[in-house]
Amino acid sequence: MITHSDDGPDFEPDDPLAVILRPASDYLGPPPGRYEAIRRGAARRRLLRAAAGAGLLCAVTALVALPVRLAAPDRPASPTVPLAPPSTSSRPATPTPSPSTGPAESDAGGPTEATEQPPAASPDASTGPSAAAPSKPPADSVAPSAAPTEKPSTTPTPTPSAKSPSKGPR
Amino acid sequence: MKRSREQAASELFAALYPRLAGWCRRLVDDDETAHEIASEAFTRLWARWTSVAEPRGFLYVTAANLVRDHWRKLERERRAVRRATAEAAVRPETEQADPSVRLLVQSLPERLRVPILLHYYADMPIREVSVLTGRKEGTVKADLHAARELLRAHLRRSVDHTL
Repeated sequence: MITHSDDGPDFEPDDPLAVILRPASDYLGPPPGRYEAIRRGAARRRLLRAAAGAGLLCAVTALVALPVRLAAPDRPASPTVPLAPPSTSSRPATPTPSPSTGPAESDAGGPTEATEQPPAASPDASTGPSAAAPSKPPADSVAPSAAPTEKPSTTPTPTPSAKSPSKGPR
Repeated sequence: MKRSREQAASELFAALYPRLAGWCRRLVDDDETAHEIASEAFTRLWARWTSVAEPRGFLYVTAANLVRDHWRKLERERRAVRRATAEAAVRPETEQADPSVRLLVQSLPERLRVPILLHYYADMPIREVSVLTGRKEGTVKADLHAARELLRAHLRRSVDHTL
């Protein structure tokens, strides 16, 4: 394409285009207070635009977040406290030594359980087994042999009745 | 910072508003409409978040678009009045406006109108026009030439009609 020189006017002085393309010569002064009014209007328009943008952003965020939240599983599984001890296999080790030392008064650290056990089992068989049953079942396998032999006078009847069933099935 | 910006805006207004409003006055019917259009152009300039690199060109192009909208609105109103009264008793109000400038803005396509407005009415050199419009200088020159040829053809036709 041919580019035409435009540095100087491309038309003759009597060209009608010279009339058309003459620069604007008439001026129209602003009315008083027009500048402040324009500035205020521009600031208000900018503010409105910002508010509309923020509102739009909130709406879009809500539209995106709501389905995601509804689609997610109801609640994360809350950590529940186990009601019973997890396993009984670890306990047998502690009670087993107790019978060996326990029979003769047994005041050491290990026998503390054993010391509490005989009174708990002896006065009332109903509460004793219920509290100690989960942790003590393996221990009972050894305990009966000691309990009847050690204290026949105090609790003769309850111990055989409580221990014999536990021993039987095992 | 804010004060200097305010001062720059005030200086820009003092330098450009009278000329822009005068240019609008040549295109529209009355002073009030010219003031409205010039004010709206300034409002749009200052309502932007990002600053305009070349405010003069922005103002003129915005004002030209507003003038075109004004003419369309007038045309719609005139047609509605004509339809309502069933007679063409209403004289076109825009006859008062400078027909040459009106021809300039009305007859040229957007692509050619902007360089003409910026170069001839905003007194911008071709280099600035090319930066503002994102076109090469050679392209701007070619556009100006094409616009002049179109205007010449329009003028010739209107002269033939009047004769």
